[in-house]
Amino acid sequence: MAKPEVQKNYSLKDSIYLVELLKGLVLTWKHFIFNIGASFRKGPHTIPTTWQYPEDRRPISPIFRGEHMMMLDETGRELCVGCGMCAKVCPAKCITVDNSKVPEGQEDRYAGKTYSKNFNIDLLRCIFCGFCEEACPKGAIVLGQGYELAAYTHEGCQLGKDRLLENYKKAKASGTLKPALKPVPVAGAAQKAEATSAVPEGASKAKPEVTKKVLKKAEKKAGEGE
Amino acid sequence: MGEILIALIKVVFIWVWVLLCAVVMTWVERRGAAMIQDRPGPNRAGPFGLLQPLADGIKLFTKEDIVPAKAKKILFMLGPLLFSFPAFSTFAVVPFGDKFVIDGKEILLQVSNVNIGFLYIVALGSMAVYGIILGGWASNNKYSILGGLRSTAQLVSYEVPWGLALLAIALVYGTFSLRDIALAQSGTFLGVLPNWGVFKQPLGFILFMVAAYAEANRVPFDLPEAESEIVSGYHTEYGSMRLGLYLFGEYVNIVTLSSLITTFYFGAWHLPYIDMSAFLGPISYGIASFIVFFLKVAFFLWLFVWVRWTVPRFRYDQVMTLGWRELIPLGLFNIFVTALVIQLTA
Amino acid sequence: MHNSELSESFDEMTSGHSTGDYVKINIGPSHPAMHGTLRVVALTDGESIVSADPEIGYLHRGVEKLGENLNYTQFIPVTDRLNYCSAICNNVSYEMAVEKLMGIEVPEKAQLVRIIMMELARIADHEVLVGILGVDLGAFTPFFYLIIQREEIYEIFEWYNGARLTNTFGRIGGLVADLPSDFETRWQKLRDGIRNANDETDKLLTHNRIWTDRTIGVAAFSPKDALDWGFTGPCLRACGVKRDLRKDEPYSLYSRFDFDVPVGKHGDVFDRYMIRMEEMEESIKIIDQAFKMYKEMPADAPLIAKVPKTIKPPAGDVYHAIEAPNGELGFFIRSDGSDKPYRLKIRPPCYMVYQAFGEMVKGEMIADMIACLSSLNVIAGELDR
Repeated sequence: MAKPEVQKNYSLKDSIYLVELLKGLVLTWKHFIFNIGASFRKGPHTIPTTWQYPEDRRPISPIFRGEHMMMLDETGRELCVGCGMCAKVCPAKCITVDNSKVPEGQEDRYAGKTYSKNFNIDLLRCIFCGFCEEACPKGAIVLGQGYELAAYTHEGCQLGKDRLLENYKKAKASGTLKPALKPVPVAGAAQKAEATSAVPEGASKAKPEVTKKVLKKAEKKAGEGE
Repeated sequence: MGEILIALIKVVFIWVWVLLCAVVMTWVERRGAAMIQDRPGPNRAGPFGLLQPLADGIKLFTKEDIVPAKAKKILFMLGPLLFSFPAFSTFAVVPFGDKFVIDGKEILLQVSNVNIGFLYIVALGSMAVYGIILGGWASNNKYSILGGLRSTAQLVSYEVPWGLALLAIALVYGTFSLRDIALAQSGTFLGVLPNWGVFKQPLGFILFMVAAYAEANRVPFDLPEAESEIVSGYHTEYGSMRLGLYLFGEYVNIVTLSSLITTFYFGAWHLPYIDMSAFLGPISYGIASFIVFFLKVAFFLWLFVWVRWTVPRFRYDQVMTLGWRELIPLGLFNIFVTALVIQLTA
Repeated sequence: MHNSELSESFDEMTSGHSTGDYVKINIGPSHPAMHGTLRVVALTDGESIVSADPEIGYLHRGVEKLGENLNYTQFIPVTDRLNYCSAICNNVSYEMAVEKLMGIEVPEKAQLVRIIMMELARIADHEVLVGILGVDLGAFTPFFYLIIQREEIYEIFEWYNGARLTNTFGRIGGLVADLPSDFETRWQKLRDGIRNANDETDKLLTHNRIWTDRTIGVAAFSPKDALDWGFTGPCLRACGVKRDLRKDEPYSLYSRFDFDVPVGKHGDVFDRYMIRMEEMEESIKIIDQAFKMYKEMPADAPLIAKVPKTIKPPAGDVYHAIEAPNGELGFFIRSDGSDKPYRLKIRPPCYMVYQAFGEMVKGEMIADMIACLSSLNVIAGELDR
């Protein structure tokens, strides 16, 4: 394994080091002067490329995939029917859902006929791929803009229903709710309507068969429990 | 008694001043690097982050002092001290200003005006290598040893072009005393240029600069502590204030070297074309000369930072090649030409 | 462990007795220049390397086995974590393999968006490499100029689908999102920024004598050796072999674009650096052309092919490789007709390149070894899988 010999041919300009050194110095000096000027500007975000976190934050993309939230509909009812599609599609297996039939007299709290009794997202496992959001037939689970997820305890990394709903309220108050995902056009116009169901939709269209199945399951469960 | 008191005041003053310079340098280095690299740098501690060195110091002081298992404990502790001591001591012969005249009595702004200042500088400059090699060896770490070895070879090699550049200076000015050299740089040279060493010894100046960068272990010669190659070189195993002494010693070294460059090549406290003593009072002249001197030093300090964040790092053998094959012949050539010119013009 | 035992093993580690006159140095897995968690056990004679033995596996996460236990769609986010510098190329490579297996025809518009995003990812990857190479050779500043531009690229990714690093780009059959409406303005700004940053890096490094001394002739590799060792990508092209899957085995729509394949001469660190610098320019060209074609497409052109809800490819094998920033990134999938692959094998470009590392640095110095490693762009996530 002979290594190829490489000849170095330097021109005089390159060989005396100093010319290129001076060029480099001029370049860094330009940056230096620009940034010195910039650092005397008012406000925290003076040097254009650095954000002075935490008082100065960069804009987050409206479709950012951050901390999850659980959506409510216009009348304040929970959209989640507890079908468990999100748990099924999750590559990291971080979602656990228990569903149950909506109890009598609480129909104003839940949009569907079933609801998720327990809903937990383990942030320690979550990889923020956004598949749950795409899989959800009701648009009930959405990844929001929260990215400060540090916690001291294991419990602090569990997103229960209370925290998910709280995230929704916060996002609504600050006006950072994610715009509804637009279905992309699918190849083959004839089968269009059928194929779009593969890709996620907004919360508008409910799919009856899913709901029915889940309802059945929930009933079965309730029966076993008794 | 009065003499001793004055000497003591001078010693304490310059010691504190050099320390202060080094402290500010750590801040300038970090902020300067940040500005060159399009980022703000440490700006939280105090106005403009000026208290950052203090915060760093507190952090280093309060950290646990670890001596690694199987390290040679005494040598391990001695290393940082031996490294920072010569850097401070060199300042004893550097004239940091001209003089005060109080009641007809001259007070030189120099701790001690020895007539063999050169030898003292060269001798102490070589001392620093002990701190590095001891630290590297006593740590019982292969990276440290490599760093120590690199540093030793580098410092020993670069003493030679350094000394050769200094010899040419001695030839030009005919003295070994730093103050005499500084005094000889007033007025003009060939009618137009300031009578500064850099115009009489342009090649010597470049040699001295390069050697100074190598002596200070700064980029492009920072291979003893090349972070990406040998972790941190000789101070890999050091922590707390021992590490602090190494880091700090480096900055004191830079201040000292910048002062030497100013003294030898940039007219010490003399302004070009202007004789300050002609229109300033005895005391204000002393202060003015001090300020002028340190403004020049400040420029070279900044140059150290500026160059560091512009160029890549040499490789070990390339440093040796540059030193022995290029700088030393150039240094000899420089001495030859200098001697020739002096002989012909005498 | 008992104390004396500990010190004994420590002696063994630190002393050079067992290795003759040479000193054994353990570089990595935790070392400032070992990208990720690589480890090299080097036998050194002073600063020169007598032999270097690369060791892998410190970031092994069983990605291939994971693939057998996740269904076809669920594996897409896992591919993000292979070469995390250019996640989009991994995603697309995997998706194209599955599409090939299923015989899905991806709509043209989706392919264009994929190409735009892949080339952006390539630029991001190359920028990281050049920056890190500079850092490893002591030039810190270019890194920041380049990484700022990478940040802008990530911004585009974030506005496209909400994630910056682990993009989970696209789905099998196409995409789930169109380019954001402000892509054109962003891209024009970004293009100037990238060109400017590359120009500055060029000024700071390319002709600097210190840089050329450190890179020219360092870890040179002959074309024959490179081919024997299975090199692909920029490392192979640096050796002088003109092979680029985008040109030689054009996949997707690459045959429609007009771009050059830069080729080096000696296969040394300098050539690898220059090739990456030039490839960024070529990628810019490709994106410009692709975006022009994209704009000519109707707004409601399909972005995703018709795919069944659960992806169950027919039983069979497929291998598909694309030209990832590091070289040929291929996915081999054997399907048994179920919704999970029976076997999934990844061919990462780094693996082949890193094998030759010991040969490459033999006789060089420790500092060269670091330079060589940086220039190979070995990414542990992809190497160990």
